[in-house]
Amino acid sequence: MKEKEKRVLTGNEAISRGFYEAGGIIAASYPGSPTVEVVEKLKEYEEVYSEFSTNEKVALEVAIGGSFYGVRSMAVMKHVGVNIAADPLMTFTQTPINGGFLLISGDDPGLASSQNEQDNRLFAKFANIAVLDPSNSQEAKDYTKLALDISEKFQIPMMLRITSRICHSRSIVSLDERIEAEVKGINRDKDKFCMIPPGSRRAQFFMKERIEKLEEYAYDLEINTLEEIESDTLIITSGMVYQNLKEVNPNASIWKLGLIYPISNKRAKEITAKYNRVIIIEEMMPFIENELKLMGIKCEGKEHFSFTGELDIKDIEAGLHNAGIIKDKRSYSERFVETVPRPPLFCTGCPHRPVFDILKKSKAKTIIGDIGCYSMAFLFPFEQSNIIISMGASIGITKGIKKAMSKKEDNEPLVAVIGDGTFFHSGLPTFVNLLHKKQEGENMTFIVLDNRTTAMTGGQPNASSGLYNDRDDMKVGIKTLLESMGFDRVNEINQYDYKAAAKLFKEEIAYDGLSIIVANGPCALKYNIEEPYYYVDPTICISCRACIKTNCPPLRMIKYEGIEKLKSSIDEDMCVGCSVCAQVCPVNAIKSSKEINREDEKIDN
Amino acid sequence: MTTNIMLGGVGGQGLILMTKIICQAALADDFDVKSNDVVGLSQRGGMVWGNVRIGNRVYSPNIPPGEGDILVAMEPIEGLRWSSVLKEKATIILNSKRFYPTMVQQEKHEYPIAEVENLKEAFKVIEINAFDEALKIGKKQVSNVILLGILSVFIDIKVDTWKKAVANNVPNKTIEMNLRAFDFGVSIGEGYK
Repeated sequence: MKEKEKRVLTGNEAISRGFYEAGGIIAASYPGSPTVEVVEKLKEYEEVYSEFSTNEKVALEVAIGGSFYGVRSMAVMKHVGVNIAADPLMTFTQTPINGGFLLISGDDPGLASSQNEQDNRLFAKFANIAVLDPSNSQEAKDYTKLALDISEKFQIPMMLRITSRICHSRSIVSLDERIEAEVKGINRDKDKFCMIPPGSRRAQFFMKERIEKLEEYAYDLEINTLEEIESDTLIITSGMVYQNLKEVNPNASIWKLGLIYPISNKRAKEITAKYNRVIIIEEMMPFIENELKLMGIKCEGKEHFSFTGELDIKDIEAGLHNAGIIKDKRSYSERFVETVPRPPLFCTGCPHRPVFDILKKSKAKTIIGDIGCYSMAFLFPFEQSNIIISMGASIGITKGIKKAMSKKEDNEPLVAVIGDGTFFHSGLPTFVNLLHKKQEGENMTFIVLDNRTTAMTGGQPNASSGLYNDRDDMKVGIKTLLESMGFDRVNEINQYDYKAAAKLFKEEIAYDGLSIIVANGPCALKYNIEEPYYYVDPTICISCRACIKTNCPPLRMIKYEGIEKLKSSIDEDMCVGCSVCAQVCPVNAIKSSKEINREDEKIDN
Repeated sequence: MTTNIMLGGVGGQGLILMTKIICQAALADDFDVKSNDVVGLSQRGGMVWGNVRIGNRVYSPNIPPGEGDILVAMEPIEGLRWSSVLKEKATIILNSKRFYPTMVQQEKHEYPIAEVENLKEAFKVIEINAFDEALKIGKKQVSNVILLGILSVFIDIKVDTWKKAVANNVPNKTIEMNLRAFDFGVSIGEGYK
């Protein structure tokens, strides 16, 4: 037999490959770390239709549609995305499955790039669906395929729960050929698919029986593996924690679960009965632990391991030491040396920079932020966000604050910011809602930061991107849309035109009513902005640091030879020529290298 | 025996491509290999890190504490930050090109020059301004390949395997320039072997 081709793949790439090999046809997602690359990688396979949908709810619905037609389908999202998709999910799960259906949930223990740390294994149980938890890229691929098989066999939507570490770590994967799955066509049995009573009442029993059957099936499922050694302790674990546990290599047997919900009651009792102590190691909530406790199995878990964050090798060793399983604990140095922190910042040339520089100088004391690159405005030195909750939440929250203020005759101006991606994701209904009970004299300024892409997750296109480049197909103009909704005060401004933007912001923040500013400027990364660099003339610079306060990476104060005071400078290799620093300079000490060349040309002529 | 390579840098420097190239080279020479990258928020000029573990059987992609064999520091502060994962007397390949973090730019914190210099007492430090060297070779984008060339001297992977992995991951037009950068790195690394 020919040896299989091997590749080093990330967990995300492996899921893509698994979906392709399993004969998958429809995949939809909304970009969110840690799962962004799953659908991006699917573009390589022309057999698969994939899209980044407007939001996770729409993505789930597109995938549900694929499944209803009888083809294998997948919806991919980060953990909080499942909240958006929860409405169709909680009802879709009551119907039988036609084409295999898989929900990929990217959980983020440790909150590497998320606003919360919710454990979506609970969501799966809530929705009466089963959960697979891979521990490396090979398993990520294999479980993707297995999930689609189980989905069709048991008529159940499946969840593949992955964590950021699995998504982004690479390991070796053997590739297989694609198998074209049988296409069943639409099942028009309305009693099973129209989810209104009495069909939806019957569905409760259907879901219960389905999970029960799957629990029986789990009894001898091969992906739940038992590694037995001579020991009175059994450790039960899953996912990446298993790999970290293997590095610790304690004197204990290990039951590694691939299918973590449902767990076979009979099997769990048989295995655990042989041990004096049963220890569950799992990240975040005590999910497996609670399942076992519900079965009446005596076990330990969260008393030894943190309820939050990842459980790395060191944490597992410390927990097992606390439990008395490991006698000698090594002493470790800290994870990294405490030195100057390096938080993220707006990229060189970022169009959000002038907006927050202007807001910092404005009269607005309360700024309601949202989710996107511009969330970083809450960081030093801008510190221009007072509230950030979830995708699209800024607009509704602002209205609520304003209405409360009105009742108390407080008319401080409020400013909310929302990006173009977030605007289309979940901002649209919140803007419509602003038109309801709109009152004169309620001072709110809404700034839509249109950088023409969903930037934070790596520059995916969204509904307005097509207006600005030929690659993308949707051309929904934000200003046009808002005006046709009925907003009468919508201004558009080029964010790089600092003076005009500052004037407009001042006017709109002073305006005693509702106004909207669409602040337009291309994402410097996605649109590869690179204009001739700017430089500082230290003999003109007055060391006021107005430019430095914009926090643009190439800028810093340096010592020039023969000049006593520190003066500003620009690293010409990093500068992309956005000109914002030159525009905030009160004495015109910052100049474009292009203008210099032009002057030279004039002299030459 | 597992070799643990740590990488630290600044978002946007191309660290993820580095770990990918190392992984592909390790697989091609029949090693087991696992890697990590931070992806997400820290892309925007924040601190980023990654690591690669190469051996006969690798379980966790995470380097056990204090088990790092070699650190590729793409920026001096990041070299300082991640030196704690290293074994005693381990090697640090240090790109001396600085990126100034916000707190230094805003004059709230000095750039830790002395602390970076002190690394030389505890570790074998190979210091190079890969940025300037890359410009001399042709393009700032080949900085990382110079660092890979230095790294290659300390890893049990064949030179040809490395070069194939580099060539597979850079634009066709720049393969020749990248291989020159790699060779330059090798020549630097050889001096410290």
